Amino acid sequence: MGTAIKDNSKIRPNANELLHSKLGVLELKTPLTVASGTFDLENLEFFDPACLGAFVCKTITRLPKKGNPPPRLYETEAGLLNSIGLQNPGLDAFIAEKLPVYQEQLRMPLIVSVSGSSIAEFAEMIETLETCAGISGYEINISCPNVENEGIAFGVSSEIVYKLVHRLSALTQRELCIKLSPNVSDIAEIAQAAEAGKASSIALINSIYGMAIDYRTGRSRIKKGIAGYTGIGIKPVALALTHKTAQAVNIPILAMGGIYTWQDALEFIWAGASAIAIGTANFINPLAAPELIMGLGKFLLEQQLSISEIKGKAVI
Amino acid sequence: MNNPQYRQRAIQLREELSDDYFLLWIWDEALGAAGKAGQFYDVRALASLKDSQNAGKIPKLFKPISIYDNQGGRIGFMIKKVGEGTAALSELRAGDLLELIGPAGNGFPIFQGKRILLVSGGIGYPPMWYLQKELINHNQIYWMHGGARQGDVFPCDEIWTEDGSIGRHGRVCGGMRENIQKYDIDLIYSCGPMPMLASAAQISQELGIEHYVSLESYMACGIGVCHGCAVPIGTKDDWDYLRVCKEGPVFNAEEVRWELL
Ligand SMILES: Cc1cc2nc3c(=O)[nH]c(=O)nc-3n(C[C@H](O)[C@H](O)[C@H](O)COP(=O)(O)OP(=O)(O)OC[C@H]3O[C@@H](n4cnc5c(N)ncnc54)[C@H](O)[C@@H]3O)c2cc1C
Ligand SMILES: Cc1cc2nc3c(=O)[nH]c(=O)nc-3n(C[C@H](O)[C@H](O)[C@H](O)COP(=O)(O)O)c2cc1C
Ligand code: FES
Repeated sequence: MGTAIKDNSKIRPNANELLHSKLGVLELKTPLTVASGTFDLENLEFFDPACLGAFVCKTITRLPKKGNPPPRLYETEAGLLNSIGLQNPGLDAFIAEKLPVYQEQLRMPLIVSVSGSSIAEFAEMIETLETCAGISGYEINISCPNVENEGIAFGVSSEIVYKLVHRLSALTQRELCIKLSPNVSDIAEIAQAAEAGKASSIALINSIYGMAIDYRTGRSRIKKGIAGYTGIGIKPVALALTHKTAQAVNIPILAMGGIYTWQDALEFIWAGASAIAIGTANFINPLAAPELIMGLGKFLLEQQLSISEIKGKAVI
Repeated sequence: MNNPQYRQRAIQLREELSDDYFLLWIWDEALGAAGKAGQFYDVRALASLKDSQNAGKIPKLFKPISIYDNQGGRIGFMIKKVGEGTAALSELRAGDLLELIGPAGNGFPIFQGKRILLVSGGIGYPPMWYLQKELINHNQIYWMHGGARQGDVFPCDEIWTEDGSIGRHGRVCGGMRENIQKYDIDLIYSCGPMPMLASAAQISQELGIEHYVSLESYMACGIGVCHGCAVPIGTKDDWDYLRVCKEGPVFNAEEVRWELL
């Protein structure tokens, strides 16, 4: 923290100013958002939404998706396995039923998470959403491990990622955040392809592959066998990929993966994140979001540091 | 109070039941007024998440526990210790703090003037206790309960154990047809392990009797957000995965796609 000696003659900024952050074209009151699929309006019953900088909804697809057979969940020694399979009502029902409620109730930027099975389908979805008010940005989910040969196929090829992002960036002035899969050999290469295609930010990481078996019976705990692994156990992986990606691109990073507390959040900001999201933590602690922002604000105030001052300044 | 609320409440009283079963009582008039029979809470022994860098102290998920009793703000939970989450609950004493999210789920539909059969198995007993209190003034009720052994059974009209240690010997569904006939049953409620509910549903379907089941499912959020607890509900040709924690836990037995579970 030696880089941050302050001129004491200036007026000391308050916690709100220190917590301010930017994600591409979005101004964020706080650097905290919520991970797609882990948070909805029900959670906002538990605390004051002012602690959130933006709201990311569950991924939607063009057509309704039934999702995977149960059991879909299993809590491991460290973190959670899920196999939801992108269950969602589809784009039309989202626009007709969900979006109006968000428009009415959300007091923060809404980022709509979308997934498609082809570049044309992604483009069609964005074109449709562009006609709707009350949307501040898109999170392009090319990384769901629970849907075979779909999102993930996009996420692993930098050539396809470039083509996809290039196509989508021409369609919108809104925030265009590309959510990457950790299940690739070189995440930096994929992130660079997204940047070259004019993405305005990168989100990472989605779930990594995981599995659990009942040792007595040999039966997989999850019906489909391999699932998505999230939560505290994936934090070191997510942190490494945040650091690696931050070294490779100039566009901002929305980092997630095992962030439970303000201390975790700081680690990701040091590693290069402009914003962070909490996912599994919402299940573990209903007050994770306000407690994180309270702790982070207190730390920044005590140290008189802002997010932008520590971002990417990890000492290696 | 439409959506589930988050609370921390001190345990007022703890009672020991048989073996691994115990009762925890809390006091909250607002929650009590909101709770209905068949609804549940996502419950956890207070576990704070102050420091995720201390791995031994990282809390685990909340666990769904039915409302066992609810009268004038006095809310009871009857819990069986089966794994980590319920073991932590079993350590709690009066004065300790319980974390609660709820009331969650839809609850049982309540009728009048019916001849009702209640069928419960194992830890399916608690929601039935509250349910029969809601039904008893306006209906005739016959309650059958089954468990693996003596420690798994509790007061009701007819007890079954798989090991024959008390009551009738065998599985509780084995006595359903006889009682349906004897008491001219026209409505069934059931709660228990999935295989038991599937057998009970088959019997009610064959006999054409209205039947509501309360299903179990592994949960993460417990409030309808993650879609992790979904079960197939609908007709054979037109069904969807509905959430046990939101659209359920009570479903019409006829609409549960048992063949897919
Ligand atoms: C709507 C709903 C209402 C419920 N109401 C009650 C209630 O009132 N009282 C109550 O005690 N429980 C109730 N349950 C069940 C309870 O939620 C589970 O027993 C609990 O989640 C187990 O968590 P755990 O961490 O202790 O065990 P886990 O680690 O999740 O499981 C430990 C072991 O026990 C097995 N197991 C899990 N559940 C059961 C079970 N029900 N019976 C036997 N073995 C099991 C698992 O397969 C595993 O092998 C309810 C469940 C639902 C969905
Ligand atoms: C139950 C569940 C559902 C999820 N659904 C989605 C989804 O629809 N779209 C998506 O991009 N990510 C989804 N994710 C991944 C999260 O958004 C996030 O990337 C991941 O959980 C890592 O963060 P965490 O460790 O804080 O949970 C889901 C995760 C969980 C646990
Ligand atoms: S447990 Fe999350 S939707 Fe039911």
